[in-house]
Amino acid sequence: MEPSTDQPGTSHSTTNPISDGSGENNGQFECNICLDTAKDAVISYCGHLFCWPCLHQWLETKPNRQECPVCKAGIGKDKVVPLYGRGSTNNQDPREKLPPRPQAQRPEAENRNPGFPGLNFGDGSFQMSFGIGAFPFGFFGTLFNINDGRPRPPPFGGAQYQDEQMLSRVFLWVAVILMFWLFFL
Amino acid sequence: MSSISVTRIQRELKDIKSECSGQNIKIELYNDEYTNLRGEIVGPPETPYHGGVFKLIIKIPESYPFNPPKVSFETKIWHPNISSVTGAICLDILKDQWAAALTLRTVLLSLQALLSDAEPDDPQDAVVARQFKENKRAFLKTAKFWAQHYAHAPGPVDKDCVEKLKKATEMGFFKDVSLEALSKYSWNLETAIQHLTN
Ligand SMILES: [Zn+2]
Ligand SMILES: [Zn+2]
Repeated sequence: MEPSTDQPGTSHSTTNPISDGSGENNGQFECNICLDTAKDAVISYCGHLFCWPCLHQWLETKPNRQECPVCKAGIGKDKVVPLYGRGSTNNQDPREKLPPRPQAQRPEAENRNPGFPGLNFGDGSFQMSFGIGAFPFGFFGTLFNINDGRPRPPPFGGAQYQDEQMLSRVFLWVAVILMFWLFFL
Repeated sequence: MSSISVTRIQRELKDIKSECSGQNIKIELYNDEYTNLRGEIVGPPETPYHGGVFKLIIKIPESYPFNPPKVSFETKIWHPNISSVTGAICLDILKDQWAAALTLRTVLLSLQALLSDAEPDDPQDAVVARQFKENKRAFLKTAKFWAQHYAHAPGPVDKDCVEKLKKATEMGFFKDVSLEALSKYSWNLETAIQHLTN
């Protein structure tokens, strides 16, 4: 059965003003949830007034039934309008004040292979593989060692460094040739 | 208990005092904490409950008003949607249809409306609901007798009920148990006694 006739905050409170003791409130601007003067006020499309923290908690309580607590119209974070009174110094959207629920994160898998999955000097030998779809610029990025958290190259001047420099140059040329080959095939 | 539930109950109690004089409902604190309240509704006219005073046990969860209050009848009542044994209530707004803008006042008014309009297809007490559907006369008679017996509803008491209840108690059965059996068997004294002796 339906909840009985009158709903707080609508016609009722205008015809029968409720004093909250502070003497400055006639009941029209009371939150429909805490029944106190609405703080960080938002208004639903159906015209019902709430404190944003109160409405937020209601929406959290009923994640599967996002309905206006007064009239059961659809409601949600994107279906309310913040209210700013005259002279309010802080016009921050109340919906932004409350820390929004932490979003699910999808961290990148840690990349142990330096660079593009094409070059690997790991064990002395090297492997080389790249799909046709792989755009060669990614390849250059690797060769010119764009710093993005991958392992730094070996110290400048060492024998290993020289070897790798040479290898790098060889691969650069291989890459350029391959690119031309791909383009003019 | 969270502060919002306390301030809201305080607020509601204040509002109820100024608004509910003519509505035959009453709510007051049971202890100094705002978790335990007692309510009262008067049975609406044109029902077998007319004029009876039904006491309610109201428990406020910490998450109120985001979750509904827990309400049950303290006064025994014969109604399809209220357990005749425990006083538990089957009412959607006390379950999944609760909304944070509803108040104890609206809950009590809804309960009053439930007394006027039973929903036997969504019963809390299967025995009562069956009687309501199959033997409406016995239901009305029983509901009225219970209201007079337990809720001090006014009016002349059904002589047949009084007599049969007297007979059962004279056989040594407790009054409440006898009344329950007689009600369950639609005032058939023999079957009620048979049930009691088993
Ligand atoms: Zn509020
Ligand atoms: Zn609404």
